[in-house]
Amino acid sequence: MLHFRTFCSILCAPLFLLVQGQVTECSLLLSGSVLDEHNKEPLAFAEVFLPQLEKGAVADESGHFLITGLCPGRYVVRVMHLGCTPMDRTISLEKDLVIDFRLEHHAHELHEFEVAQQRPDEGVGQPQQQVDKDRMERNTGRSLGEMLATIPGVNMLQTGPTISKPVIHGLSGNRVLTLNQGIRQEDQQWGTEHAPNLDPFSSDRVTVVKGAASVQYGSDAIGGVVITEPVELPREAGISGEVRGIGLFNGKGGGGNGLLQGGVKGIRGLGWRVQGSGRYIGDSDASSYVLSNTGLRESAASASVGYRDHRWNASAFYSYFQRELGILRASHIGNLTDLENAISSGTPWYVGEFSYAIDAPRQDVEHHLLKAEAGYAIKDRSRIVLTYGYQADDRQEFDLRRGGRSSTPAIDLFLVTQTADVVLKHWIGKSIHGKVGVSGAYQENTNIPGTGIRPLVPNYRKQSGGVFLLEHYPISTKMEMEAGARLEATRLDVAKYTYENLFITPQHAFTNSAFSIGANWSVKDSLRMRFNVSSAYRPPHVSELYSEGLHHGAAAVERGDATLNSERSLKATADLEADWLKGRLSTDITLYADRINDFIYLRPDGVQLTIRGAFPVFQYVATDAFLYGIDATLQYRFARAWSIRSRTSLVRGRDLNRNEWLFQVPSDRTENALLVTLPKAGSWSALEMSASSTVVFEQSRIPVGLDFSGPPSTYHLVGLSATATRTLGKNELRVGLQANNILNTAYRDYMDRFRYYADARGTDVTFWVRYSFGKH
Amino acid sequence: MRTNPVCMTLALIFLAAINGCKKDDEVTAPPPIVNEEEVITTMIFAFTGQGGADDKELRFTDADGDGGGVPVFDLDTLQAASDYSASIILLNETADPVDTISNEVLEEGTDHQFFFQATGSDITFVYADADANGAPIGLATNATTGTPSVGTVKVTLRHQPDKSGSGVSGGDITNAGGETDIEVTFPLVIE
Repeated sequence: MLHFRTFCSILCAPLFLLVQGQVTECSLLLSGSVLDEHNKEPLAFAEVFLPQLEKGAVADESGHFLITGLCPGRYVVRVMHLGCTPMDRTISLEKDLVIDFRLEHHAHELHEFEVAQQRPDEGVGQPQQQVDKDRMERNTGRSLGEMLATIPGVNMLQTGPTISKPVIHGLSGNRVLTLNQGIRQEDQQWGTEHAPNLDPFSSDRVTVVKGAASVQYGSDAIGGVVITEPVELPREAGISGEVRGIGLFNGKGGGGNGLLQGGVKGIRGLGWRVQGSGRYIGDSDASSYVLSNTGLRESAASASVGYRDHRWNASAFYSYFQRELGILRASHIGNLTDLENAISSGTPWYVGEFSYAIDAPRQDVEHHLLKAEAGYAIKDRSRIVLTYGYQADDRQEFDLRRGGRSSTPAIDLFLVTQTADVVLKHWIGKSIHGKVGVSGAYQENTNIPGTGIRPLVPNYRKQSGGVFLLEHYPISTKMEMEAGARLEATRLDVAKYTYENLFITPQHAFTNSAFSIGANWSVKDSLRMRFNVSSAYRPPHVSELYSEGLHHGAAAVERGDATLNSERSLKATADLEADWLKGRLSTDITLYADRINDFIYLRPDGVQLTIRGAFPVFQYVATDAFLYGIDATLQYRFARAWSIRSRTSLVRGRDLNRNEWLFQVPSDRTENALLVTLPKAGSWSALEMSASSTVVFEQSRIPVGLDFSGPPSTYHLVGLSATATRTLGKNELRVGLQANNILNTAYRDYMDRFRYYADARGTDVTFWVRYSFGKH
Repeated sequence: MRTNPVCMTLALIFLAAINGCKKDDEVTAPPPIVNEEEVITTMIFAFTGQGGADDKELRFTDADGDGGGVPVFDLDTLQAASDYSASIILLNETADPVDTISNEVLEEGTDHQFFFQATGSDITFVYADADANGAPIGLATNATTGTPSVGTVKVTLRHQPDKSGSGVSGGDITNAGGETDIEVTFPLVIE
């Protein structure tokens, strides 16, 4: 279908333009007004956004907007306003265009999901990035951690090729809160080798808030928050959907996902969606050997139904997620001597033939989420929203054991969490609006008997309750402010047997508070600034209080400290977004500094002798930490179809009490890409291609004596990608190719816990095809 | 009609709260691990004298398994210039009745091999048993002592080693691979 002529014209067109020296000034203007559909009143501060260009503008008080520096082409324009259904319109831009958008405005409503979309209104001052459907699609076939790692300031903490957790501004694990459809994800996230148990495709958009955000989201939001946004259900009759097939060449695997959604004829406002995903992958390949026992099987499904009208809304959502994965065979070691041998040998001690089989050591997890929500407009502009969430997380880990016990789990945990929130969205006077709310959570962790092994984490019950207030105040047409506070109390009841077989039931109570102040300032159309100072907190996790014993996977004995206090952090961020050279150059720079008191981490504390040999002992301790850094994105369009993009992030972490660097802070990295965008090439449209180079520098800022080996050296990876769309009648076909590490470079990453045992993945090619149908 | 949805959702929240508060009783814990099967507390290295030498025993005990307790050695001295038939017994003494782990090692012989490294002490070991494939395990060995000397002997048990690796079936641990299940260095006096 891709004829030679089309192929040639795709490759040749941009070159032709470049050779001709045709640097067309992309300086078209899109302007107009955003009005209410019914009464033609202007909708002040409406947002007009072009997702494909990541460019937009906020309308002024009279609903008038202006976007500059556009190239001719076909674009989707998304128009949003508080209290209105967002609207997508496709426009064809050949010259300056003046267009009026009419939104259906239901007077004085505030829908939670719409508020979540209004970037000017939510998380004022916080640096945040969205990974919209388009960007998620380019990273299809990858895990959530890998998808987010393309955002500057966000890295991955990996355990081999299939396990990755997001790291935001140097912090991860318990310090990154994940919200699944707006509900706090509780899936044993304390474990460094426990990846988030959620399918990014159960949502249409993932937002990463790179800041301390405990006021809005509660405890644990110290590094940041990963939000899989609730889906917008259709409101009108008619069925639409999409289906995607994925081929994963490294691992010789494949996957697919699809969704079907629609409204109900005769009942306007009622909509539903069903969605499913799956992946099946065998052993991954490093550049020169097979990474044995790194296969993965994943399946997920979700269903939701919702109703909305002027007065009230109600929705229910259920999702199921299952993942089984193998742990690199060569990472399974017995004691410190084995680890030292692995580090000095340079190649994994076990390399087998490629296989799809997953043997011990392996993990098998299942996660269920049920969410119910109802909202009601109680007065003119106020709205009350009640949300209930129920989660069940079942985690089994299998180890290599004697006596045929490899099929008996070594860890068998069942975690049930219930959350309930009541939030009142209100207006004070004409311009101040915000929310006040009460939230509660109830959690029980149970070790299922039968493992024959002392539990790593004891049984416990955790209850918490909090109140919060967040008010938003537009100071002028160019500046708005937000301030808020939260108070939360947590109670922890633990039950365990000590090494002497004494049954103890310790109790803990933590009280924490957080505040936040932020401001957005549009200095002028081409310069926007955001400032934020927020505090956040995190009560210690049960594993940090009560760990006791050998952690096999880490070849270390870990000891908790039951006297640890909550971590408290204070973070200041400044974000600068600017357009230069008539929109040809855009820059986005975030600066941040974060001080965390009572920062909890593991520190070596001697050696313990057992029959297996010597093990280093690690003790959970607290210190005061300081992290700071800069994220920068730069995009320069130097020709009509060509641009270069640079994403760089630097982060530093300091242990203030010991005056040394913190362990496991990501090193400096920069990703530079050459992009080609062609609105049309033959019968294909929205053609995008890129060649990228990623350099990850050696981490030279490390604490002495805290690591088993030195950090890996600087490495450089080259990647290519291409996507194209084709309209088939009223439906759409999109294809994409993404190739990472095309030079098959052998490398190890400092943030990969398996760097002691094996190289990271070699060349990794993913190919996908998506077909979408029905009205969108 | 207007109040119904509010009532329903309030009831839902109420039910959730009730459900939560019901469990005001003690959080139950799993029963104590009476038989923690992966634990090996004791290694008995028994030397049966051949041709007139007395029987000797080297014993290593770490009573609390992976716990913080310090392990204890109970050592005999070996006779110089003698032959012994040595055997290893592994026990889990936290279990009741005491669990003989060396039986499991024998049953899964193809997955296990012992290695002996003498430093300073003049003693050599030759494998005297075999697994289902004919490769050595090391639960039974023939030990020969030489001149009187003082040193150590390190006994290592590897799980799933590469028994076909170069030198491995002769007792050289260098290319063995696998995970270490036991690594005990016995002080050894030969007199």
